[in-house]
Amino acid sequence: MKPSSVIRLAALILLLAFIARPHAFAFLFEPLTVNRAPAIYNQGSLLALTLQHLRTVVLATLASTLIAVALGIFVTRPAGAEFLPLSRSLVNIGQTFPPIAVLAIAVPLVGFGEKPTFIALFLYGLLPIFENTLTGLTQISPQALEAARGMGMNPRQRLLEVELPLALPVILAGIRLSVIISLGTATIGSTVAAKGLGEVIIAGLQSNNIAFVLQGGLVVALLAVLIHDGLGLIERQAARKLGRSPDEVP
Amino acid sequence: MIEIEHLTKRYGDTTVVDDVSFQVEEGTLAVVVGTSGAGKSTLLRMINRLVEPTSGRVLIDGEDTRTIPEDTLRHRIGYVIQGYGLFPHRNVADNIATVPRLLGWNAREIAKRVEELLDLFQLDPAEFAHKFPHELSGGQQQRVGVARALAARPALLLMDEPFGALDAVIRAKAQDDLLAIQRRLGTTIVLVTHDMNEAFHLGDRIAVMNQARLLQYATPAELLMHPADAFVERLVGTAERPFRLLSLTKVQAALEPGSAEGEPIAVSDTLHEALSRLVWTGRRALPVADAGGTIIGRISVDGILDHGRALP
Repeated sequence: MKPSSVIRLAALILLLAFIARPHAFAFLFEPLTVNRAPAIYNQGSLLALTLQHLRTVVLATLASTLIAVALGIFVTRPAGAEFLPLSRSLVNIGQTFPPIAVLAIAVPLVGFGEKPTFIALFLYGLLPIFENTLTGLTQISPQALEAARGMGMNPRQRLLEVELPLALPVILAGIRLSVIISLGTATIGSTVAAKGLGEVIIAGLQSNNIAFVLQGGLVVALLAVLIHDGLGLIERQAARKLGRSPDEVP
Repeated sequence: MIEIEHLTKRYGDTTVVDDVSFQVEEGTLAVVVGTSGAGKSTLLRMINRLVEPTSGRVLIDGEDTRTIPEDTLRHRIGYVIQGYGLFPHRNVADNIATVPRLLGWNAREIAKRVEELLDLFQLDPAEFAHKFPHELSGGQQQRVGVARALAARPALLLMDEPFGALDAVIRAKAQDDLLAIQRRLGTTIVLVTHDMNEAFHLGDRIAVMNQARLLQYATPAELLMHPADAFVERLVGTAERPFRLLSLTKVQAALEPGSAEGEPIAVSDTLHEALSRLVWTGRRALPVADAGGTIIGRISVDGILDHGRALP
């Protein structure tokens, strides 16, 4: 086994152990507490919060992926080419708008809870996926496309059998980026009462309990690292099939 | 038979192909040759309607291509481009199976056809069927590209600079292989190149294009002896002309009775090859052997020179 795999495996085991049995790690966090404050988050189950957090991120990224990939496909077709600049600026606005501002605007419209967080993450996740879909679809070798057309593939066949498979590694890289950003950004959702790991951090900040802040942060960080690695593995698999070196995937 | 009638393509004010007409007989190989930007590729791409003609039409066996749906037409015409455009995400077998799969052949037929083609192109199915394009050499990619174009047994094959990416040694072999396969399958081929040697080596007939217009469409010998204008004459190369003419004629034509010293020349070689051997070995004559190796006569420098001269 490679050293990197050992580290990954260790991180995974540590994460699972910690969210399943946080109290077993209490001795590590006790030195950080003052005035006999609890060392381990005690206002809810870490496991449940982690799952909630992941659920929000996965749902938001799925929605971003669907919209961004569909939009990317549309603007690279002849019929949609004129919408390319427009969709680019729309998606860019989604990215420039700070998620916290999105929350502030969304709460009065959809109320507190998971919904505003979902909207913020969705908007924030669009850009990387959209840009990568564009890159993936436009960097396909013109010869392969010409051959596909010359052999009598219709536009749908060209898209499904040639363009999307060839763009897949780059699109996956965009999705990975989006997931990682969302994992971190989702913590601020707890300011508007969305269930998630942000709750732990905010509880820590409010009660001046560094142990809580550290726990929430650690779990989010470990999740991000592991998911980043896992998705990277899938990408490399896809890229290897195309005969590219994995380094070429941005 | 392919009949190209008054084909014209204009983009705005620029005429890329200007009123080109010629015919390609069933089972022959026509080469379209010319400088870059002469409109050769556009002409070729109008045959399978990758480019829609501004005016004029193409008939394949009497059938106007405009009456056939684009994709159906292309399923029936093999197409090979420079760089081949193999699908990098599909292995060799799947690449070759592209058109049969589009046509809905069943899996057994497809597998049989793929194996047949790999054999035909001297690629061992066990070794190559599951390789990906990036694992192949340039020559192997080229063969897979042609095999893929021939997969659904098209009667017509269009080739756009199919040997352009190969080095000289592999190119000569690939050209010979193409000729052998063409003779065997009887496929009609229209091939575009900018390489005059390639045109003379492969073409039953050669179409010379310059600045969107077809200057001459003739057999290689006619092109050499009666070039239509100064451009064609320059293109066929004034200094090269006698040698090109010699390379169109087999030793058989200049065979003389008698005997000579030295290593025999095969009767199927060209006069060009024979002359170069004579010059190289410093002899006036060499014996000629048939396919079985029996000496059937001799060939002399004078005999060859008679064939390399323009007719009065």
